[in-house]
Amino acid sequence: MSFITDHILSWVTFLPLAGSLLLWTVVRREGPARLLALGVALADFVLSLHLWFHFDPKTGVDQFVERVAWLADGRISYNLGMDGISLMLVMLTTLLGPIVILSTWRAVTERVPEFMGFLLLLQAAMLGTFFARDMLLFYVFWEAMLIPMYFIIGVWGGQRRLYAAVKFFIFTMVGSVFMLIGIIYMYYHAGSMDLRAFLALDLPRQAQLWLFGAFFLAFAIKVPLFPLHTWLPDAHVEAPTAGSVILAGVLLKMGTYGMLRFAMPLFPQGVATFAPLISTLAVIGIIYGALVALVQPDVKKLVAYSSVSHLGFAVLGLFSLTKLGVAGSLYQMLAHGLSTGALFLLVGVIYERRHTREISEFGGLAHGMPRYATIFLITTLASMGLPGMAGFVAEFMILFGTFGSTTLAHGRLLTVLASTGVVLGAIYMLWMYQRVFLGRRDNPRNEGLADLSGRELVVLLPLVVLMFWLGVRPGVVLDRVEASIDRVLAPLAIEGAAPAGLGAALTTPVLELPEGQGRFVFGNPEMR
Amino acid sequence: MNGFLAPAIGDQLDALLPFLIVAGGGLLVMLVDALFRTKRKDHLSLLTLIVLLLSVLAQLRSGFGDERVLLSGMLTVTDFSRFFDFLFVGCAVLTTVFAGSAFDRGGRQRPEFFPLLLFAVLGMMVLASASDLLSVFLGLETMSLAVYVLAGGVRGDVRSSEAGFKYLLMGSFASAFLLMGMALLYGFAGGTAFSDIGRALAAGPGERGLAALAGGLILVGFGFKVAMVPFHMWTPDVYDGAPAYVTGFMATAVKAAGFAILTRFVLLMQPHLAFTWYPLLVGLAVVTMSVGNLVALAQNGIKRMLAWSSIAHAGYLLLGVVTLISPAHGNSGQMMLGREVGEAAGSALLFYLLGYSLMNLAAFGVIGALSKGGREADEIERYAGLSRRKPLAAAVLAIAMLSLAGIPPMVGFMSKFYLFSAVVRAGLVPLAIIGVINSLLSVYYYLRILVVMYMKKPEEGGYDDADTVAVSAAAVLAGLILLLGVMPEGVHRAAQEIFRQITF
Repeated sequence: MSFITDHILSWVTFLPLAGSLLLWTVVRREGPARLLALGVALADFVLSLHLWFHFDPKTGVDQFVERVAWLADGRISYNLGMDGISLMLVMLTTLLGPIVILSTWRAVTERVPEFMGFLLLLQAAMLGTFFARDMLLFYVFWEAMLIPMYFIIGVWGGQRRLYAAVKFFIFTMVGSVFMLIGIIYMYYHAGSMDLRAFLALDLPRQAQLWLFGAFFLAFAIKVPLFPLHTWLPDAHVEAPTAGSVILAGVLLKMGTYGMLRFAMPLFPQGVATFAPLISTLAVIGIIYGALVALVQPDVKKLVAYSSVSHLGFAVLGLFSLTKLGVAGSLYQMLAHGLSTGALFLLVGVIYERRHTREISEFGGLAHGMPRYATIFLITTLASMGLPGMAGFVAEFMILFGTFGSTTLAHGRLLTVLASTGVVLGAIYMLWMYQRVFLGRRDNPRNEGLADLSGRELVVLLPLVVLMFWLGVRPGVVLDRVEASIDRVLAPLAIEGAAPAGLGAALTTPVLELPEGQGRFVFGNPEMR
Repeated sequence: MNGFLAPAIGDQLDALLPFLIVAGGGLLVMLVDALFRTKRKDHLSLLTLIVLLLSVLAQLRSGFGDERVLLSGMLTVTDFSRFFDFLFVGCAVLTTVFAGSAFDRGGRQRPEFFPLLLFAVLGMMVLASASDLLSVFLGLETMSLAVYVLAGGVRGDVRSSEAGFKYLLMGSFASAFLLMGMALLYGFAGGTAFSDIGRALAAGPGERGLAALAGGLILVGFGFKVAMVPFHMWTPDVYDGAPAYVTGFMATAVKAAGFAILTRFVLLMQPHLAFTWYPLLVGLAVVTMSVGNLVALAQNGIKRMLAWSSIAHAGYLLLGVVTLISPAHGNSGQMMLGREVGEAAGSALLFYLLGYSLMNLAAFGVIGALSKGGREADEIERYAGLSRRKPLAAAVLAIAMLSLAGIPPMVGFMSKFYLFSAVVRAGLVPLAIIGVINSLLSVYYYLRILVVMYMKKPEEGGYDDADTVAVSAAAVLAGLILLLGVMPEGVHRAAQEIFRQITF
């Protein structure tokens, strides 16, 4: 086994790629293609479990490092590594992989091998992005994600799929090419594409501002941060269910991950200058996304706009520049990945049965589909951030972090405003649930719909379990990411302890509590 | 007299052999065609391939790394010229394959195609190793005359004839500029050899104005060949009218030859004229890529679209030339930077030309493979659903398009990476930004082909028949596009080595 464990990151990354190559060349029949894709995705998940169990949470240094010279006498290298932050997002990715593939069992009937091939290719590119510790390698994976997603939306998408696919591609490209120039610029000053060499650079303030802008634009479009979000509803609505799940579950996190990993530690001056602006935009996004979600007639579009709102929280947490906020932001990425991923799966379930997603078409679904209604309710509550669920932990940490932020002059105001997003979230989610599931079943077409099948339950239950688990045991995540967050944020010289006040009282303990105690602080609604 | 020449030729024979083989091969193919008039022309394409292969072997046999002055200084064979020779021969090999398949499918090209192709290659080889104004002109005209006929050589096809005629007229005009410039330069330097010109330029101020004017006129001549704005007007019509396999050859080999001599010439004049030309070339590079990309957005024919895209790519390549001669003003102001930047820019230029040739040959190869009976597969809308009808052809064309757009992990991305790296390194960040904005524009029209092929339903009257041989050859190119996109190091290092030998 050592030939696998010695290069475990490469195996995790390239196993899906190998699977996709098989799907394009050898396995051309539908049934075997589905099984192969599922098998590869499951195998990848099993491989990634090795990472989970052998990961050392005490250090924030990259682990399982692989490094081979690639270009320019090794100044550009094939350099993979993994810290706690990467670990969490990688686990999310490999977990969603088989779930997504299983969810398309019935939904995709056209050109199945190609579809599965693109899903696996996308997974490989996403994993590579999380592992890459060389800037050019990162950029290659980052851009390579575009191609499979473009095809998934464009070939298997809905009515306006062409428009959505091209819009998705071009929006993302716009951000990334400027980042490329930034990377090249830094490469010549650092003499290497190694992330550590980039971090060691001491750039003048002016240069940092420009470079921060170039990097941040790429990531902000991906998040997407208001007002750069306009591609997202189109992409989500037109994408097939599997595409939406991956898009919401993992792809959007690329933006916040990129900010946390690259834009923030590399350009402290840029962060200091722009944090007030960015956090304001994040709060606008939270409220705007929620308000727009409120009036959507289409369930999928509603969920799409809720993503804008939820990821606004993630960005707010990052730019609160407190450890608590940043940890909360990472938590939000996971929570959102689980709950929104599940929501898109659930929307896909009803779309398969009714071929519509208009809220007005439904009503009283709970009567005929009790299992579906139950799981939908749990997911709805998770998405709103009900205490005891993952989303609550995340939003709570972010709001506290922002409230106690010393760098954001208007941190408290932002916290108050962002909290309205939580309330609005409850409103649009519950109202939607009410209109779809409760009341009388007026529309005859909603009668006789099949409840969740065994396969669909298998797809959804792991996500539901995790929503609860992360809701009550935040330590599972926080213990593993704390050291890494410390390390990543070191260049920013963030004060671990916020000054006196409510923020300080609540911020300091969480990440400094002795082993075991911190775990329940945020999961337990009776904490105070 | 014989005894006086013979030893000299004997010494040079191994280095001259590649030229002689291509020239002799061209004559041989012509003779064989005249003597054995058969319906099928397979033996001609086979013979052409053998000739090209032999010239490669001769090239390999004569070795690398040294500088060989041939024919009393008319030609100087260096690794720089050898690189281009391989590129030309490679393009010609694929063009032969594509042309062969097109003839099998009822293309109405004249049988002189193959000898003309060889003569064009000969002209290019002379051009790339020319070290005298006379050999520059000889090489350029040998190439151009052959290509004029290739472009217009489809019997009975009005558009092809128009293309050939237009190319001839405009090309002659450009040649006149070139010749005028050469005459002035001769007057300035008192000799036609590059060494004479270099000496005269180094000697002192003298008639600097004259030299600058001469250089400008010569630039017009070369600019025409590489389709630089504002000397690009012929490109869309000619690329559109000529059959796809000829267009592929023009877009790759002819453009590479133009850039080979342009680079040589700019380097010759650079130490003295950089400051006169530099701003002009910067402007032309920016205008060329912008115009190319903007107009390409609005095209409905794939060949016209690729024609404008090739103008845009000429702009990127000009960016490389600009960087090559950029005044050494790096951020730290070290003079050493001049050499480093030169090496980076030069190697990027060569790598770009190679990558660009691969992707364009692949694209035109597929277009040619879909053409039938002399009707070109030109309408983008009729590519609808190609991915269902001809998955391999569609995949190859998709890879070529993504590579042209500069998406990793294709060679087009690495080309742009090396190029923009050199540009940034020279301290020309604004130019790099203009470059990436341009490549953003280009994404839109390249993606359009993918949209049509993969995301639209097949329709009645769409292209549904592809030649297996041509598609296979194009698939090999697609494989190279991916391979060089992931592992560009070997080729790039070789290109760097080539520029390490050149004195700046």
